[in-house]
Amino acid sequence: MKSPRMRFVRPVLAILVIYLVLLIGPIASLDFPNIYASVTANPLQLVQFLFIGLANGAIVAIIALGYTMVYGIIELINFAHGDVYMIGVFTALTTLSLVGALTTNNPGHIALGIFIALLVAIAVAAALNATIERLAYRRLRNAPRLAPLISAIGMSFIVENIGLIWAAQSWLVPLFGTTGGGAQKEFPDLLTRMFVSLGLDPNLLAGTGWGLRFTIKDLLVIVLAGMLMIGLRLFIQNTRLGKAMRATAQNRDAARMLGIDIDRVITATFLIGGGLAGAAGLMAGLYNNNAWWFMGFRAGLQSFTAAVLGGIGNITGAMLGGFLIGLLAAFSDGYLNARWTNMWVFATLVLILLFRPTGLLGEQVGQKA
Amino acid sequence: MKPELKSALITGLLGGLVVFLFGGWSAAVLGVLIGIVIGLSNGSRFNRNDGFEKLFKQALPNALWTALIFVIVSLVENYVIAPAAGKSPSPIGIMLAANLIGGLGLVLFASVVTALHGLEPRWEKIGKIALLAVLVTAFPFIDSWTGLRWTANVIFALIFVILGLGLNIVVGFAGLLDLGYAAFFAIGAYTTGILSSPQHNIYLNFWLVIWLAAGMAAIWGLILGAPTLPLRGDYLAIVTLGFGEIIPVVFKNLIDVTIKEPLTCWVIPGIQSLFGVTSNLKCIVLAEHLDLTAGERGINPIGRPVLPLVGEFQSDNPIPWYFLIIGIILLSVFLIRRLHDSRLGRAWMAIREDELAAAQMGIDPVRTKLLAFAMGATFSGFAGAFYAAYIRGIFPSVFDFSASIMILCVIVLGGLGSVNGVIVGGLILMTADRLFLPALKDLLTGLMRTTILPGLEAWPGVQDAVAQNANPILYRFLLFGMTLVIMMAIRPEGLLPSAEVRAELHAAEEQAGPVESGNGPASGNGAGGKA
Repeated sequence: MKSPRMRFVRPVLAILVIYLVLLIGPIASLDFPNIYASVTANPLQLVQFLFIGLANGAIVAIIALGYTMVYGIIELINFAHGDVYMIGVFTALTTLSLVGALTTNNPGHIALGIFIALLVAIAVAAALNATIERLAYRRLRNAPRLAPLISAIGMSFIVENIGLIWAAQSWLVPLFGTTGGGAQKEFPDLLTRMFVSLGLDPNLLAGTGWGLRFTIKDLLVIVLAGMLMIGLRLFIQNTRLGKAMRATAQNRDAARMLGIDIDRVITATFLIGGGLAGAAGLMAGLYNNNAWWFMGFRAGLQSFTAAVLGGIGNITGAMLGGFLIGLLAAFSDGYLNARWTNMWVFATLVLILLFRPTGLLGEQVGQKA
Repeated sequence: MKPELKSALITGLLGGLVVFLFGGWSAAVLGVLIGIVIGLSNGSRFNRNDGFEKLFKQALPNALWTALIFVIVSLVENYVIAPAAGKSPSPIGIMLAANLIGGLGLVLFASVVTALHGLEPRWEKIGKIALLAVLVTAFPFIDSWTGLRWTANVIFALIFVILGLGLNIVVGFAGLLDLGYAAFFAIGAYTTGILSSPQHNIYLNFWLVIWLAAGMAAIWGLILGAPTLPLRGDYLAIVTLGFGEIIPVVFKNLIDVTIKEPLTCWVIPGIQSLFGVTSNLKCIVLAEHLDLTAGERGINPIGRPVLPLVGEFQSDNPIPWYFLIIGIILLSVFLIRRLHDSRLGRAWMAIREDELAAAQMGIDPVRTKLLAFAMGATFSGFAGAFYAAYIRGIFPSVFDFSASIMILCVIVLGGLGSVNGVIVGGLILMTADRLFLPALKDLLTGLMRTTILPGLEAWPGVQDAVAQNANPILYRFLLFGMTLVIMMAIRPEGLLPSAEVRAELHAAEEQAGPVESGNGPASGNGAGGKA
């Protein structure tokens, strides 16, 4: 395969690419002298970005689980999944508004409201995801490849615009205001408010004097995400339905022959994936404090990248990929420029797909990727 | 009820419904349009061997009924609905003339076009083309004479027709689902913007720039197509989706471009400082704080085309623009038809059907796919250049994800792989979007204000909620998404499918049908239940 000429061409190409990155990189803020200077000026900042990356990565990982589970079973990218997450954010915000948690300072009321919002967001997002499967994907399961993909992208667009219409309903959530549906909305910082009204400092590292912030929000997001991931893992490994899901993912026809109800398994997969996206929606709302109808698109691209990075169809891989993408995004936000973060995340996706399409942990499900 | 009467009722009501929204002279224009549509769709219903006269007579009663219903709906609109919505009805003179022309036009065109099917195939084709040419040429003049002001919106629809024709090469011919096609539209538009505007004080001639824009789009089609070559299906879709997302972001952020040659600026000085050597190496700066695209402010004003007899094209006179874009479409259709039948076109279709088999037959998949991306992008380069010159200002937000989806909608509605289908799909979808929905909004708001809203005085909250949501514009993109999903479920081959795609889709159903019949049949009659 490798001719002597190729052996010579490859390094030259590599050097050329590196040179081009150095030449054009600074346009997208990839300016190594600057980065080096800011890292040496304040090394503790690195730890700070690590915290932010972990918390955001936890959210990305939870969304990525939904992509990877669905892809594992029906080998279709559920384009609407990111938008289901966005609906989760809106549902959580609406529920919080309806139970009156947005305007109160009573910590018990806020905690109860968050708990109810979590349940409602999970239920609504799960139901929505299963509905999407029923309406848009099921009848196309045996159609040519292009049809379910187009249907999926159409569904994504529909759900996105349900969000846009929702964001115009100021009678439902007073915070939505009269600025129309298109603008970004505020998601109140309830956890901080709750902690302040309890007389505590929301920053858990305030006493250490390092100048770092690790707030109650970071803690809650990481703990909740960890619980969801462990719960999912136990469910898939130990329950009958989990076993049926694994069997369907391996070979759908064989699973059907063994008496597994494929439709039920697929619906269950969509329900679980949607529920996770709903939970991620509440977490993201509380953590990042904004709600926007288009947020699902970007989150979807990031979490899909995470799923591919970890090895699509692989649940552990999706978690790992989520944390890595969260860290990448946090460092890019911190040291490069937030404007270009999406581009770097996306460049990662293209690079993985080109050079290691099975992802980091992809071997276990090699034939899926 | 007789089938002819039923179809007459449906078309008459539908046409009347559109007249509902515009009133006045629209009845005349729409009457003629509906007549032609009926005539064309009648083609398969009658016996072609009956000859011109017999067909004419056969089509006449149906056309008369349709015209009657159409005129009645139109009159009801003018004298019942319009006053109720708080609009003043059109004067009786216009009403009479418009409905007379519309009704007679409907009858005449429906019968004549139907009767054309009875001629010999050659004459039938000539007749249809001549009719189409006359109508396309006459449309902007009739439009400006009657004061309907539809031409500017039709031009937008035609821009999307070109974009659809280009995307159709990639998705319809080569079967590569490209979800970021608006990126090439953006590249064409920004090339035009940068090369003929005060942004960089470059003022190239439009007739040159449009080719440069197409060439630039083609080059970027190659560059962005290259990394996607090993990918298939889902992965290809998401990577193109990403490109579509990134390109507008890049255009938005290229407002402070500084390019320093890295070797002389910090690699060599860095190494030197490690060893404590000092030298007076000059840092080569290629660009410093260059505002390439003006970010969110957008580039404007962009130069307009100039022609010897017409002079500079003006914004307030859409007629030259209309003929310019019709010219571009004719050129595109000609090129695309030639491409479709060429060796390359057949290679695209072979790749679409089965890439492995095509590669075994000696088709180079790399070259074929890259050419599909490049050719597809070329046409969006034309569209981008025209758009930039027509609007005179370009902003990154125009080219975002929703633009890509709208273009995809156009080709899915019209029919993947079908040139005529894409043209019809683009016209239907974009005129619906730009003409129908705003008019519907006006009518609904008017009706709401006079009927329902006063009844809700007692509950101001509900009144607000109803007033906010009785706005079809709010559901605009929702309708686009639903078009995609519904078309895929009911008629995946589109309104005017190409023969190959239709055969392929139905062959797949027939194969899969019996085996999987218990588990959600692909034929999609809503019977996807459990076995």
